[in-house]
Amino acid sequence: MPKPAKGPRLGGGPAHERLLLANLAVALFTHKSIQTTETKAKRLRPVAERLVTFAKRGDLHARRRVLAVLRNKDATHELFAEIAPLVALREGGYTRIIKTGYRKGDNAPMAVIELCLEPVNPKPKAKKAAAPAAAPVASAAPVAEEPEVVAEEVVDAPVAEVTEAAAEEKAE
Amino acid sequence: MAVPKRKQSRSNTRARRSQWKAENIQLVKSVENGQTVYRLPHRANVVTDSAGTELFLEYKGRKVADV
Repeated sequence: MPKPAKGPRLGGGPAHERLLLANLAVALFTHKSIQTTETKAKRLRPVAERLVTFAKRGDLHARRRVLAVLRNKDATHELFAEIAPLVALREGGYTRIIKTGYRKGDNAPMAVIELCLEPVNPKPKAKKAAAPAAAPVASAAPVAEEPEVVAEEVVDAPVAEVTEAAAEEKAE
Repeated sequence: MAVPKRKQSRSNTRARRSQWKAENIQLVKSVENGQTVYRLPHRANVVTDSAGTELFLEYKGRKVADV
């Protein structure tokens, strides 16, 4: 027996639901950030992220599979040409849902769903490899410069550490 | 079809309704600029300027949407 999709059902039937989700995905890929109800945002998230995964694959077969869902060439092109390169380094979690309060009129809980297009700033996963390299730099920095240094390290250090760690892994 | 035999007494009605209770809203307490602020959890906040004009919605230091 097929497992039902997670979350509440939308629309008047399965076809209506597919169309609703496809139209929401088109709007999301066109505008990068859309406001909708919390329920729809939660249903849209897996649909959109799956399409982004196809876009990252980038071949013609993937493009046709996305086009079969979206039915919109402009949005599909936008997804493959603009969005996919920006999330190339991101390992899933391409969308972000933020709750924004209640809609005037029917008091429906609203949310903004947006694509995470900013560069990935990964948490130091390879702590054992990165920590010894980072520690001497931090301790060597003079106390007077500390406020600036802290801010810079937060921005710069993880990227540098990860590239180093990645290089080390490749070398091994 | 089963039907009630008797009118329900005021006492029984009121005893049942006395169990309807509103629950307190769960709020998150934080201190901003020396003032204690209560907010709904996991919800974007409205950022206002000093005159109290609403500027935009903010969540975790990130601008979310216009008001």
